[in-house]
Amino acid sequence: MQALSPRSTTRLGQPARGLLYTALVLGSLIMLAPFLVMVVVSLWPNQAFLERRFPLEQITLANFSETFQVIPFGRYILNNAIVAVTATVLQILISSLAAFAFARLRFWGRDSLFLIYLATLMIPSQITLIPNFLIIRALGWYDSYQALIVPALFSALGTFLLRQYFKTIPLELDEAARMDGASSLRIWWQIILPQSWPVIAVLAVFSFQATWNDFLWPLVVTSSDSMRTIPIGLSYFVGQYSTAWNLLMAGSVIALLPVLIVYFVAQKTFIQGVTLTGMGGR
Amino acid sequence: MEAMSRNPAHASLRLRRLFRWRPHQQWEAYLFILPSVLGFSVFVFAALIASLGISLTDWGLVGPKAFVGLDNYRSLLRDPVFALALGNTAFYVVTIVPLQLILGLLLALALNQGLRGRETFRMIYFLPVVTTLVAGAIVFRLLLGSNGPLADAVSAVGRLIGQPLSLPDLLGSTRYSKWAVVLLTLWKNTGFTLVVYLAALQGVPQELYDAAHVDGATSWQRLRHVTVPLISPTTFFLFILQTIGAFQLFAEPFVLTRGGPAQSSLSIVQHIYDSAFRFALMGKASAIAWFLFFFIFGFTLLQNYFQRRWVHYETE
Amino acid sequence: MSLRNRSAHSALLAVALAAAACSPAATPAPTSQAPTAEATQGAVTLTWAFWGSPEEAASHRLVADAFTKEHPDIKIETWNEPWDNYFTKIQALWASGDPKAVPDVAFLWPTPKYAAEGVLENLDPYIQKSGYNLNDYWGGLLESAKYNGSVYGLPRDIEVNVLYYNKTLFDKAGVAYPNDNWTWDDLLAAAEKLTVKDASGKVTQYALAVEGGKFAKWVNQNGGGILDDYVNPSKCRLADPESIAGVKFFADLMNNGYAIRDADLSQAGGDEAVFLSGQAAMIIQNTSRVSAFNKANLNYDVALVPIPKGGKRWNPAGGAAWVISAQSDNKDAAWTFLSWLQSKDGGEKIYTERGEIFPALQSAANSPAFLTDQPPANKQAIVTEAGASGVGGFGYFPDWDELNGTIISPVLQKIWTGEADPQQVLPELCQNVDQFLKDKGYPKK
Repeated sequence: MQALSPRSTTRLGQPARGLLYTALVLGSLIMLAPFLVMVVVSLWPNQAFLERRFPLEQITLANFSETFQVIPFGRYILNNAIVAVTATVLQILISSLAAFAFARLRFWGRDSLFLIYLATLMIPSQITLIPNFLIIRALGWYDSYQALIVPALFSALGTFLLRQYFKTIPLELDEAARMDGASSLRIWWQIILPQSWPVIAVLAVFSFQATWNDFLWPLVVTSSDSMRTIPIGLSYFVGQYSTAWNLLMAGSVIALLPVLIVYFVAQKTFIQGVTLTGMGGR
Repeated sequence: MEAMSRNPAHASLRLRRLFRWRPHQQWEAYLFILPSVLGFSVFVFAALIASLGISLTDWGLVGPKAFVGLDNYRSLLRDPVFALALGNTAFYVVTIVPLQLILGLLLALALNQGLRGRETFRMIYFLPVVTTLVAGAIVFRLLLGSNGPLADAVSAVGRLIGQPLSLPDLLGSTRYSKWAVVLLTLWKNTGFTLVVYLAALQGVPQELYDAAHVDGATSWQRLRHVTVPLISPTTFFLFILQTIGAFQLFAEPFVLTRGGPAQSSLSIVQHIYDSAFRFALMGKASAIAWFLFFFIFGFTLLQNYFQRRWVHYETE
Repeated sequence: MSLRNRSAHSALLAVALAAAACSPAATPAPTSQAPTAEATQGAVTLTWAFWGSPEEAASHRLVADAFTKEHPDIKIETWNEPWDNYFTKIQALWASGDPKAVPDVAFLWPTPKYAAEGVLENLDPYIQKSGYNLNDYWGGLLESAKYNGSVYGLPRDIEVNVLYYNKTLFDKAGVAYPNDNWTWDDLLAAAEKLTVKDASGKVTQYALAVEGGKFAKWVNQNGGGILDDYVNPSKCRLADPESIAGVKFFADLMNNGYAIRDADLSQAGGDEAVFLSGQAAMIIQNTSRVSAFNKANLNYDVALVPIPKGGKRWNPAGGAAWVISAQSDNKDAAWTFLSWLQSKDGGEKIYTERGEIFPALQSAANSPAFLTDQPPANKQAIVTEAGASGVGGFGYFPDWDELNGTIISPVLQKIWTGEADPQQVLPELCQNVDQFLKDKGYPKK
């Protein structure tokens, strides 16, 4: 048993295991039920949904192709991918630089500045919307990728998360490296970051999904089809009087797929990182 | 924020080493935070100062009409909708935060038992986190509706056992609408808590469990005295994050119930959004936002103070 | 200093640069911008904003093309957002204070609110100069587009609420179709027979589905009202016995299971969805549903909305209007476009022919564009209800949105859930409304 489950904290008996499995499977069903609804509605014509009758012979993939005909969904997906990937990578770099300074360097005003960072977490983003919109226009970035990406790069949350993690890495590592003449930058890049894969993977997934699903900001700063993103595209199916449920759900399924792929990849990296760095693995 | 290590002698040695004066670290440190501070100055601090200014004016659609001092703040105290939204938001905080922490930890502990299929389970529980909220909320509207599949299932069970059972009207009554929002939020976010907790649990050294086992500790004692203290930084992080998130709850009730019926699920941030974008009362909206900010800020300071008692860091 | 060290430094530099001035290389040229207009000598380009589904947007583009054909010197660029996002977006644009960002001509509701903010052009001078005929509009309709007595917008359509009924479900229940003489009592009698419940008492087919927001119909039919004056109010009228009786009639329809509760209706996807699926035998709604019902080949017709004994026919005079931005650089061209949109043979004709609106102009409603052989058969009912249009559905003053959104409609919603009794809560509601009006300085002058 121990060999089979290296991370086990207790040795469970057969009945306990069965109970645990039952609970986990039940929970999974609850988590999956909405997706089931989503997929079912996306596979039948709208009228089938309205009548809540789903005869097998009416099953169709037409909703998926219609989604692409009604709105330029392919372009929206591309935009989402560009924005989410760029923002995620840059956000992690910028946040980790700052977090490194906050966690492992000493400078005047460090703790007050960090507190100010933390405080910004508590500001509802709705309130910076209008001022930020003015800034974006002043920079000439209206309806551009910069407008979608740049404001998303400065994450108090990311900085906080990384700093908390950096603080758990033994300081002896820095000391030893400094003895060998390493600069802080090198310590950040070669010692701290490689130790931090798990937290980076968590942050990556978090930041990716946040930018991928963001709605209000892209709505305000973009106007042309060439800059629009998926969440706005989906909202076209919710009309003033009626909703194209079948298209909305087909679009949602399509929107979900890339995120799932990213999560699969991140999960592998995540586990790989854990094994490579020997973090907690033994 | 300097929580002490368990061993005072060890800690002070570390502290001395860390704070050995290195003048070159100063400018180096500033270089490290420069990109971040630059961005924050433009997109966060500048915007905040602007909104503070706006909150002191009667600001309509096209700009300030008049400077009104603290009138916007004063009128909040007489605004019944504001009080209602504040109450609803408090409800969200005290339900969502503990439920999410407990559910997330329980699931993480379960998945940490070395069960087969752990990756699959984690994947399933995490799926809602990466789903577009709008799609999730619309499906929840279908599921929880008084004529939805859930209500049908409950009445079917009722017929089976010969008792008249029926699901309360979760979305259509002022009594339960907040619970519908709580359900949606839990569905959407528990996976995140789970994944973070699971990562933390995997960082707990096996030796500590083995040692506790040798000492004859029960599983409950091991959980209570080894696991919980060692993952306390994670708990603190999640707690702060979720509290702030619950205070700022917007999209979930906005899409699920529009804050209704009869404002029964209206959150404070939706009140901000409505004031700004439905009623063109920018000054009022800014004032509510700053009020909320001070509320959360005070709360966080308090938590930060109390964290010394229960959060354990490895260093500093 | 090792090589590795330097590469790390350059990485830092790259990050700093990217943060400071995210490289603009990736930006594709915007598809529609002003420079193209300046290139064409003498031509004017108008930005035209509206909300709508992709299908509705297609109609708008058709209208734009038809206009450009008649006026080659004016180019139209369209700007489209889904209904829910439109107002957020346009408010953000106005708030930015940048005239270039704001569309020249926009679709808007409610006009007085925006006129009071000073973002709309007063249309009176243009109307006088061009001799544009305002008398063709349905009664009371222009009130919804006026502020301080001046016209700030031209309503495109008028909300005409009629009773849609599903003939198949009526036949199945053996109920005679509604006729022009139906009263509230006839409606109740029919509702009784058209409501179907299962063994557990759960309603599986409702007789009626009506949005809670349409309550003013019952109130006004019964001689009640929301306010004493809809332009410059001083007093709430919802506590009047006639108003309470109107609200109570509606609430009882829901409490007895005849009508689907308001919150349940919106979860179920709105009245269009429940009517299409046969969950409701009747709905009361404007003409926007016709195209969807015709597309689904539904066996239905429309009728006059039943009135109480001794009551009067009443329909809310309101409809979203075309407006000109006060910040527009091309106001004369914008007026040319606006007056063409709101002419019997211009925009009104195209929208009406495509079944999207019931026209704001009486002449367009009485033209072949509307009187087609498409269902519903009883088009006379729509024309009759339109003729009964008047004020009373909503306020025509800037603070109405806030008053309704934060004070009136939450209390009504609570009544629709069955948790509040109109007799008890409406008097208190009226006190709050009066207080709100007093705080905002009404009545003005």
